[in-house]
Amino acid sequence: MIPVRTLLPALLLTAGAMISGDASAQCRSFAKNKCLPGLAPYTFNETFNAAQLAPGEEAEVDLTFFSGQDYRLMVCAHPILGEVNWKVIDQNGQVVFESLADEPKSHFDLQVQTTQQLTVQVWVPGDGSGSDMVHVGCVAILMGFK
Amino acid sequence: MRTSRWLLLSFLSAGIMACGGPEPPQKDTLSTEDSGDGSVQQVRQKKTKAIFYSIPSPMETATLLKKAGAEYETGLLNDVEKVNTYTSASKQALNLGIYGADLSYASVYDHTQESMFYTSCARNLADKLGVLSAFNDTIMDRLERNKGERDSLLTIISGIYWNVDAYLKENGRDNIAALMMAGGWIEGLYLATQVTATNDTPELRQRIAEQKHALDDLLALMNTYEDAGEGQLASTMADLNALAELYKDVDLGESGTVTQENGVTVLAGGKAATLNDEQLTAIRERAATIRNNYVN
Repeated sequence: MIPVRTLLPALLLTAGAMISGDASAQCRSFAKNKCLPGLAPYTFNETFNAAQLAPGEEAEVDLTFFSGQDYRLMVCAHPILGEVNWKVIDQNGQVVFESLADEPKSHFDLQVQTTQQLTVQVWVPGDGSGSDMVHVGCVAILMGFK
Repeated sequence: MRTSRWLLLSFLSAGIMACGGPEPPQKDTLSTEDSGDGSVQQVRQKKTKAIFYSIPSPMETATLLKKAGAEYETGLLNDVEKVNTYTSASKQALNLGIYGADLSYASVYDHTQESMFYTSCARNLADKLGVLSAFNDTIMDRLERNKGERDSLLTIISGIYWNVDAYLKENGRDNIAALMMAGGWIEGLYLATQVTATNDTPELRQRIAEQKHALDDLLALMNTYEDAGEGQLASTMADLNALAELYKDVDLGESGTVTQENGVTVLAGGKAATLNDEQLTAIRERAATIRNNYVN
């Protein structure tokens, strides 16, 4: 008979693997079901920019905004992470929009008269609990246009 | 210590799960194996910072073309009868992107019957690449029921692209997703530049010039792959680099100022991007060469 102590790491790995795979699918499902409706009436730009992040982690994406179009930017995080911070920066380093966790905004609407790239930066605040448990949750950056 | 174990477990488990993804249809020089990095997208995890690379979707590109006054030219689209000639995974991925762009183009211009043909082609290739779930019967039923409703159709098609893109990335097959994106982007550039051969307008030239942003992002994305120097990825990168060389001196204009109008942020006008005749001709010819190489 195989000792439990020997089996435990394998069981933990298997369980972790299942959780991770599920988490990926759940991230897509979360973004699709909980976040996408918030883009209406804008047309979703179809790109899947989502990742599992933990407190203290960051995500970043450069997005092109075309002249003559209206856009909605949305950063959507799983409730387990609480509110996340995010900001939009132009190519000159100027902050165009900022949403801090203590003043959360679900989306940012903008009109663009000259095509340009903007950078969206997201960071998940530390939970400050001092706990060893890492809470990982889905964070999605979505863009819609019209 | 416990935190470290959780993180280690997370990384190991992500690698194990991704190995369980669907088998690629046929091996070629393109690695379709799991990247093993635990990424959820084309996010390339750099320790604690997830970097995303995003290019305009085929739907947005087609919408921009239409707004710029481009006419619909059915003869420019890829031949639907070629779909069964694509037998390698890399060709299937590139042409999934190309048919997807044609599908968006036909749909935005409200050519319903052609939209159905290109949906069928995209479904065929998605099946071969093991991504058929993106085109499940429910979605096909919705397409059939809404084929007279342009806006509904566009929403459903957007959902399909999202499903394919997300599925590939979630299963560590983001190199296939990158080729799909590259194929779709090349097709959009091909369509835009070909239209200028008969209907050259400043608006179209501006949109073609602005693709320099997308090209830079696409190259940045493809450069993140460890096997970027091999097989079809290397070949596609060489194609994109050849285009980047032609775009090198393209004037992207200037950013404007940020103002507020009626509570909405406005990125106000600066100088628009432009292309001269020589640049347009060179980009048009190169895009056609690359695209024709992918579809034939």
